[in-house]
Amino acid sequence: MPLAITYKPHWYTGQPLLMLAGFLVLTAIAATSAWLVFKSQEDAAVAAASVQVQYDLTTQQARVRRTESFQRGYLLTGEPRMLEQYQASAALVVPATQRLREVLADDPEQLQRLEALTPTIDAKLTELAETVALVQAGDAAAALALVRSGRGEALMEEIADGFEAMREIERRDFSDRSQAARLSSLALIVVTVAGILIILMVAAFALYLVSRATRQLGEAHAALATANFDLEARVAERTADLSEANLEIQRFAYIVSHDLRAPLVNIMGFTSELEALRDDVFVRLERLRAQAGDEAGADTELAADFTEALGFIKSSIDKMDRLINAILRLSREGRREFRPEVIDAKALVEGIGASLAHRLQEIDASLSIGSLPSLETDRLALEQVFTNLIDNAIKYRRRDVPARVEISGRFDGRSVVYEVADNGRGIDARDLERVFELFRRAGTQDQPGEGIGLAHVKTLVRRLGGAITVRSDLNKGTTFTVRLPRRWLPPTHERLQEEPG
Amino acid sequence: MTVPVTIVMIEDDEGHARLIEKNIRRAGVNNEIVPFRDGTGAIDYLFGVDGTAIVNRGKPLLILLDLNLPDMTGIDILKRVKENEHLKRIPVVVLTTTDDKHEIQRCYDLGCNVYVTKPVNYENFANAIRQLGLFFAVIQVPEAE
Repeated sequence: MPLAITYKPHWYTGQPLLMLAGFLVLTAIAATSAWLVFKSQEDAAVAAASVQVQYDLTTQQARVRRTESFQRGYLLTGEPRMLEQYQASAALVVPATQRLREVLADDPEQLQRLEALTPTIDAKLTELAETVALVQAGDAAAALALVRSGRGEALMEEIADGFEAMREIERRDFSDRSQAARLSSLALIVVTVAGILIILMVAAFALYLVSRATRQLGEAHAALATANFDLEARVAERTADLSEANLEIQRFAYIVSHDLRAPLVNIMGFTSELEALRDDVFVRLERLRAQAGDEAGADTELAADFTEALGFIKSSIDKMDRLINAILRLSREGRREFRPEVIDAKALVEGIGASLAHRLQEIDASLSIGSLPSLETDRLALEQVFTNLIDNAIKYRRRDVPARVEISGRFDGRSVVYEVADNGRGIDARDLERVFELFRRAGTQDQPGEGIGLAHVKTLVRRLGGAITVRSDLNKGTTFTVRLPRRWLPPTHERLQEEPG
Repeated sequence: MTVPVTIVMIEDDEGHARLIEKNIRRAGVNNEIVPFRDGTGAIDYLFGVDGTAIVNRGKPLLILLDLNLPDMTGIDILKRVKENEHLKRIPVVVLTTTDDKHEIQRCYDLGCNVYVTKPVNYENFANAIRQLGLFFAVIQVPEAE
């Protein structure tokens, strides 16, 4: 199954844009609403003002009529009360006209009409004043004649027409403004409803996107989990394969080393027998030579050749025996079951130091042990790792300086890291990888050994679930770094595998 | 009258057999040694044609057994000997190259009397066999019943 996970992140980048759109729509609705409310209010105010003007116009017209009525009353009755009423009413007309002017100040057309009407009103007032003056002067007949002339009637009609025309205009204005206000309100409702609809749509789309993204995320999670599971399964499989191969190699090494041993016993045995025979042969030869009268020591060279040949055979067998034993030991170590326990690494290394104390003193070497973190692992394996590394550090010291070996450690995530650093002869960069190989050794070959120690250490560290690395400066020193898990867990495969009897 | 003990040597490696015999003789043991190079021959000798081992009734025997044989393992022979009512008291000395802990345990569990690992170093080997020979000279071996 492919590990690649198909995933469309652009759906996510669409969301902020969507939110921005929603915000813009909201803002537009709010602004339009505010403007429409304002406009509607303004229209309403103008309409109200128009109604007021109509009222004012009617009142003024009525006022003129009233003045005329009181004038007629006075003309008929001649009562001073009527005269007073007439005078009071007439006095109000001009100031009222002035007030109307102020009210119509923002409407030049109406103002103009008012100004056009004002002389007529004045004329009417003058006509009224004339008749009243004639009555007061006692010439009632002249006054009546004036009334009968119909001039006052015509003026009054003109005034009424004028006011009616103005009212008509105001009525039309009012109607227009009211219509506008109604339209504004309607528009407000339409805009609000449309805005709500748009917002709802945006929200619905956003919800759809979110749910879709969530679903995709869920799918991606599931795919990832599956991939992880697969990966783990594959790792487990490979680990099992590796462990199997490892076990196979160990079994092979075990069998081979055993079967190699059997002929070696014969070679060694019969070589020794041969050695014994040689002694017998030379003793007999010497006796025969003596009987034949040859000089003594004639076969010394021959005897030396025999000794040399046998010596080579025997030393080679010894070496082969050591190698076979080493392979056997490694294979046995590889098969040994680990028993993890919590180990105080510092105490363990101090123990190794104590067992080396005599030797260290002898060669003027010093061991400094820093704080070493504890871990849970196999004690014997860890002990062998440290023993080998410390032993190597001392073994490959420089002769001109006192050997110093420093052991330090630290936690690093789920691992512990230990370092064994020396000031020894160091390892040539070319040989750095070789040092971990079986039967391979680096540098001057002046120390006994089969080239097994570090190979063994590497195998152990690997089995402990860790890794070992080395860095070195030639003639300055070497540092081995061992990384181990804080807690050793047996590989699943090994737990299932029964230890071969 | 005491019948001398017969040593049955089951060893597939001729060289080993020879070296073992030489060193046993050097210890002054002159008993008859019957060598077998494979398991089948040894089984035939020990259990007879009828497979009951009745043929060896009344004979004092001692078995020197190697575990790595071409046709079967020494363990099989040890098991059969220790399960047979006539042969079960016969001392069995396992003399082999294997020094595996589990193998040793298994042999003793099955009733082997002595387990000796062959040393590669000849001096040690010769020594071990000679001591074994001296040991043979002093132990009491029961007759097969």
